[in-house]
Amino acid sequence: MLLLLAAFITIGGNTSCKSKKRLAKEAAEAEYKARVAEAVRDLTAILDDETTWTLEEKEHRVQTIKDWNLQNAEVDDLLFQVEKKLSRERAQAAQRAEEERRAAEEAARAQQPKNVLERNLASIASASSTTQANRLINETLQLFANNNVPVLIIITQAGGFNDYDKPTTIENYLNYVKDQKVNRNKVNDLKFNDAGKITEVELIKR
Amino acid sequence: MSKKLLILVLALCFGILPMRAQSIGNVQMDEANLYAMTKQMGQFIRRFNYEEDQFGNQINPKDPSYRNTEKRRQSMAILFDQQTYGNQPDLQRYFIEDVTSNDSTFMTFLGGRWYSEVSASFKYKGKNVSIIMILGVEKEGLGSKWVLNNIYFSEFNKLFPTGEIAEKEKHFLHPMSHELDFMNIYKIFKEPEVIEYYASKRFEPDYLTLFFYEIKKGNLVFQEVESVKFHVFQIKDWYFEVSWFNRMGSNSGWLISNLIYISEKEKKDLIKFYEP
Amino acid sequence: MKKILATLALVVLVAGAAMAQDELSFERKQAIDSLALEKVRDLSKYIKIVGSKETAWSEANRVIDRAEELFMSNAEIGVSSIASNKIKYYKVRPYFEHLMRLNYDRVEIEWYNIEYVSDLQRQPDGTYVGVITIFQTFRGYDKEGNLAYKDTTKKDITVYVKRKETQIGGRMIGFWDVMLGDMRVKETANK
Repeated sequence: MLLLLAAFITIGGNTSCKSKKRLAKEAAEAEYKARVAEAVRDLTAILDDETTWTLEEKEHRVQTIKDWNLQNAEVDDLLFQVEKKLSRERAQAAQRAEEERRAAEEAARAQQPKNVLERNLASIASASSTTQANRLINETLQLFANNNVPVLIIITQAGGFNDYDKPTTIENYLNYVKDQKVNRNKVNDLKFNDAGKITEVELIKR
Repeated sequence: MSKKLLILVLALCFGILPMRAQSIGNVQMDEANLYAMTKQMGQFIRRFNYEEDQFGNQINPKDPSYRNTEKRRQSMAILFDQQTYGNQPDLQRYFIEDVTSNDSTFMTFLGGRWYSEVSASFKYKGKNVSIIMILGVEKEGLGSKWVLNNIYFSEFNKLFPTGEIAEKEKHFLHPMSHELDFMNIYKIFKEPEVIEYYASKRFEPDYLTLFFYEIKKGNLVFQEVESVKFHVFQIKDWYFEVSWFNRMGSNSGWLISNLIYISEKEKKDLIKFYEP
Repeated sequence: MKKILATLALVVLVAGAAMAQDELSFERKQAIDSLALEKVRDLSKYIKIVGSKETAWSEANRVIDRAEELFMSNAEIGVSSIASNKIKYYKVRPYFEHLMRLNYDRVEIEWYNIEYVSDLQRQPDGTYVGVITIFQTFRGYDKEGNLAYKDTTKKDITVYVKRKETQIGGRMIGFWDVMLGDMRVKETANK
């Protein structure tokens, strides 16, 4: 745009002073019109979600248009609408980020007992003595809300849904692993209470 | 299962190298024999139909080897008591040829016309006796159950001997007896051993009813089961008996102990005993 | 017309009931078979623990409790030997207690690698019934470490499988309840 202006000035270098002024005015008007058109185009695109810009890029673009200070009713109206839209998007993004953070935190929190439980089940199955197995069982029970937390075991998903074995309790299940000395199932899902203790276990056949 | 054992089982199932196998060691030898054993009557049926492979794994009905004719033909000999049929292989071969050449000769649990013969000891009026009970599978409700079809007890049979016709012809109430207020009827009861000659020709003694009666009266008391075998009439034109062979080697368990070629028409009369 | 409709409805109902009866896929049946087999393997392990002379009395009793839980309450164990075909009947607990008190200094219980699972047949009430066959070798040694007794037995174990539902954590869970029933213990020939 500035280059174009410079070109106009250069071309018009030999004309009279009056015509120079006129030319300059015409050039300024042309530039203004072009900017208004550009602003309307971009703002409309943002409003209609037709850009590929990120939220930050959109906000940056809006700031640039505001800085032009075009004082055009149409542009001002669009700016008002777009700013409202972007502030809404900004709030949603923040909420999403918070949710993601919380989910990640939750997953991390769940992952930890899941790993501990997997490890302990394997250790109980391969314990060298009953005493050692019993110590591990007591240690493992600390992860749970109580000794009667239900344990569900998926035997197959062949019917398109879960077929379970008869539900048992965590205490019985841990003793079962100890007696049988095999760890046949892996942990599929855990549920927790507010205190972070496990309240339900879902296992699945290996 | 080790590869060596697998090959051994295969060899045993098809009767190859039965002698050399013993060098592999006792436990494995035992195990191979137990694989070859027809361990349940259900396994007999699955092997008969080729619904499981030689290791006892069930075959998915969608699998091309399920009920495969060629495999059936090759493996069916293991279902015969080889001490009987090894010496007279023609009947066995003819049977295998016949049942594998036609699609409808599969045995099914709920297909009817197969019976269990349970020999058991009882006390009859204080004396030890042997009674045969015939049971059949009957569909009921959502499934099925074994039911008592008939019994064989020599004491009951003695009560109803097949009399000579000439003797039978001597015992009747003449057709005008009614006009005499049946004053001659007392004769029926004078000779209880032939009382049934006075019954309609449709009369057939019902041994199961007699059996229940004696049990209810406390005259017959069950002791224990002595042996079990099966009689199979389900296969077209054939009858066979399946017995339990408790012995070492690769030919043990539930095996065909008797095989008879018999027309469907003749079968009908025989079946009357198993399903009166 | 009404009559025809009613007949049609009846046919549809009956057909539906028949289909619901036995339409488990091969894969689901296999999963149920494995589940039943697992219970039988559990039982074999319990027999081994209780039979072992190294198992403490209190531990053996706890294991007997667990073994008892595998069985229906009225299940019986019928034992016979080659010497005598006569079947001796035990209830589950006395059978295990008998095993615990056997008068040998050392006992070896081994299971063959052979497990045979029958088809599941339905009984009139709809419960599935199957039989699983396993083989065991038992060796009892005296004080001097000499083999005092040895047998190989075939164990045919009844398995009842029933579809049940229970509520856990506010949702319905459909599960297969597998219970062991009567067990026939028969000595196999050693020659």
